[in-house]
Amino acid sequence: MKKTMKHLIVAIVLGVSLTGATGMPVLAADLEQLKEQGFARIAIANEPPWTMVTTGGEVSGAAPDLARAVLKKLGVNDVVASVSEYGAMIPGVQARRFDMVAAGLFIKPERCKAVLFSQPDLCDAESFMIKAGNPLNLKSFADVASSGAKIGVVGGGTEEKLAIEAGVDRANIVVVPDPQSGAKLLQDGRIDVYALPVLSISDLLKKAKDPSLAMFAPVENTPIFCAGVAFRKQDSALRNAYDVALAAMKASGEFAAIVEPYGYSADAAMQQTRENLCGGPN
Amino acid sequence: MEWDWEFSIQILPQLWEGVKVTIQATILGTMIAMTLGLLLAIARRSANEWISRPVGVFAELIRGTPLLVQLYFLFYVLPDLGLLLSPLTAGVLGLGLHYSTYTAEVYRTGIDAIPKGQWEASKATNLSANQTWTHIIIPQAIPPMIPALANYFVAMFKETPLLAAITVLELMNQARSVANYHYKYVEPMTMVGLFFLAVSVPSVILLRKLEARFAPSNS
Repeated sequence: MKKTMKHLIVAIVLGVSLTGATGMPVLAADLEQLKEQGFARIAIANEPPWTMVTTGGEVSGAAPDLARAVLKKLGVNDVVASVSEYGAMIPGVQARRFDMVAAGLFIKPERCKAVLFSQPDLCDAESFMIKAGNPLNLKSFADVASSGAKIGVVGGGTEEKLAIEAGVDRANIVVVPDPQSGAKLLQDGRIDVYALPVLSISDLLKKAKDPSLAMFAPVENTPIFCAGVAFRKQDSALRNAYDVALAAMKASGEFAAIVEPYGYSADAAMQQTRENLCGGPN
Repeated sequence: MEWDWEFSIQILPQLWEGVKVTIQATILGTMIAMTLGLLLAIARRSANEWISRPVGVFAELIRGTPLLVQLYFLFYVLPDLGLLLSPLTAGVLGLGLHYSTYTAEVYRTGIDAIPKGQWEASKATNLSANQTWTHIIIPQAIPPMIPALANYFVAMFKETPLLAAITVLELMNQARSVANYHYKYVEPMTMVGLFFLAVSVPSVILLRKLEARFAPSNS
């Protein structure tokens, strides 16, 4: 009896691992394979206007719309998106959970070490959402650190790092579960300031319609960040093909036609380069 | 996949901050669950239907909804009604409230197990309801319940990562913050798992001992 049990378990384990192996859709995000299956898996964050999922479940926002258009040029007809925390995107793409990250992930030197970026596509400055009149007079991350104010950030986002680097006490950094709930935390007085890019805060303020909330922008001593689509280190062929199609769309004006309605400056992205943002080749 | 010892040691202090909050939440949550559960159990047995019925409905309501939903309610909805609880308070209250409905059932079965003769004898010797509960019923009912109550204590301990959803900086949230910052999951998540094991394995051994000590067949 015991022996048959053991055999059964071995059979189950083998079966599971075998079906797992054959069921694996893509091993390397190879352009030919993506074309064949007809879609690419992307990571998004649901932070309008960068990325959003409509109430009908449709994926839009500047980053997925642009990625979809570029991929179409490459012969990949659609994208399948999964919503993820910013910090989980790079490990996710490394672990092949997605083929690429199209969430407006800012191109920064430490990220360039972990993934390959496309040329810059969406640029924005940092801003603070604060109570109207900015009662604590917060103008920079250093102000937040010295005043002991509580700051809301999205997990793994650029703002979390900026806050830590400026010396904000870990206990005063509140990681908000999703971009929308940050506004609620500020309304309820649980945090004093909520840091996100300008376009995100503008979008949240438009939706909140609350006169007690306001925006301070740009945050002092922070640069204008530019995002790009992130790929696995091994997928350089795919990244290069993506870059070629993106460059053609920038030249033809299709790029501006997609990102400008969302409020992004096409010129800002076109004047910036990945090499510059990475601090070296990537 | 590689294990980075230097990184593990570097993140240890931050994780330790989370451990402290996890333990705090578990102990406070247990205290609420144990006392509130007893009150619920007694109230549900009340002869007055105006007390027993609403309490029964309340308990079923809590037991029939997920803890995560209750935490969101305490954290995001209550402020709109004018009650602003700190993240940890809301979390402890949520845990305690949720588990009190389970401990109430433990108390109820324990109390039901007291032979009817004990109640009758209390009445015959002219004890008040108060005296009957505190001197006769509860002292006899509690010991057999201890293993089941301890079981819920361990269960609650393992539920504390849910508090991360309402921004409590407990162990899981600290680990996620570490992972988000360094793009590394192996070390922080393994250490979280090891910590939970380090507490729950001895707890289970202790539970076995409690069960042997208080098992009904031995009494």
